[in-house]
Amino acid sequence: MNCEQAKTQMLGGTIPGENQGEEFAAHLASCETCRNESSRIGALWQSLDLLPVEEPSGKVRERFYEMLGAYRQGQASVTMPVKQAWPRMIWQVAAAAALLAVGLGIGYGVHEDRSRPELVQLREEVASMRQLVALSLMQQQSASDRLRGVSWSYQVEPSDEEVMKQLVTTVNHDPNVNVRLAAVDALRPFTGSPATHLMARNAVIEALPKQTTPIVQVALIDFLAELKERNAAPELRRLVSDPDIDSGVRKRAEWALERMQ
Amino acid sequence: MAEVGAGQVARLAVLFERHHRALFRYFVSMNGNREVAEDLVQEVFFRMLRYRTSYDPAQSFTAWMYQIARNAGVDQVRKRGSAQVVDIDSFVDRRAELVSASPGPEESASRGQDLALLRRAMDRLPEDKREILVLSRFQGMKHEDIAEVLGCEVGTVKVRVYRAIRALEQIYFALEKEKAS
Repeated sequence: MNCEQAKTQMLGGTIPGENQGEEFAAHLASCETCRNESSRIGALWQSLDLLPVEEPSGKVRERFYEMLGAYRQGQASVTMPVKQAWPRMIWQVAAAAALLAVGLGIGYGVHEDRSRPELVQLREEVASMRQLVALSLMQQQSASDRLRGVSWSYQVEPSDEEVMKQLVTTVNHDPNVNVRLAAVDALRPFTGSPATHLMARNAVIEALPKQTTPIVQVALIDFLAELKERNAAPELRRLVSDPDIDSGVRKRAEWALERMQ
Repeated sequence: MAEVGAGQVARLAVLFERHHRALFRYFVSMNGNREVAEDLVQEVFFRMLRYRTSYDPAQSFTAWMYQIARNAGVDQVRKRGSAQVVDIDSFVDRRAELVSASPGPEESASRGQDLALLRRAMDRLPEDKREILVLSRFQGMKHEDIAEVLGCEVGTVKVRVYRAIRALEQIYFALEKEKAS
């Protein structure tokens, strides 16, 4: 064994499953340079073990079991008897075939993705999983679960119409104010996507007259002001002139109207 | 994992309990941000669930898991972009404080300082060298598994581990000199 070969063996005795062997020991016995180097490097290698170990917070476990639970629930809800499922399956197969044709067309046009079709497929699968978890959580009994579902919605593509519609339903009908407020915020990414921005903007405009809780009304008004959504002006004017509306909401609506001009 | 792949999804909890700490340490060592590391641990188990049927029981589970972890880490960096990159100097200082802050006798304080220096040296290593040390030293992975994760020969792994530890040694002594002067 020469010095070059010995260098790759220097950490052998300290790595699981590795053995330095007799040849290496014989080389060290005859080469002082390698002996010194092996001793220095071995000591440094051992001292790495003394570095403090960082531990994750309890949130990691909590989030994992929440994800696992939501996934299992989502899976159970999409499983149905074959007899019930077949008419739906025909449509699904037809839709999948149509999507495949469109996908192939796009694939041939987009050089970058054409080279890695498996990556495109994996990305799509991950996206549908995130959608499943978000939708499943948003339909739970517990408000904290629904709140988590709203948080998960940030992980789906902002072009995901189904998740956007569920968020709108949550804004309009969820009995819990905190969940409604969180859903208003979660709609923001959807107003930036070409696929959903019109639907999302209209949904926010339509949600405003349905709300009676001042804090949610203010959140929606702020959102509309931020979007400079002029189509919301009639509803904002109605709020300003309605004496039964909370004074804070009226002021905010007035402010939003000024901002839109 | 084979059981999870066969549909016993709840068994993923066993793998989580067994591996989430090691994964967390891998991510913290690689990116230095606890919050991001926790998100990435979650992401790895999410992907395991998603790609469970692609797991081949003949393959090393550890290697498969770290392949997923590496991909999740790369995707996360892409997603965040350069604007979100952690300020390495402040991160190094924070960890150096963490290491040297432990109270104790003089000897232990001095050892704490040495370890703080070692930590800084680790953080200054180029990412590929740091990764191979983290995998082989902190995660205790076999060379064969590392070779599978990195997609190279076992011999290459040995050479790369050696080069990484040598690079660490050089950085460590340079820092020590800097401190003494």
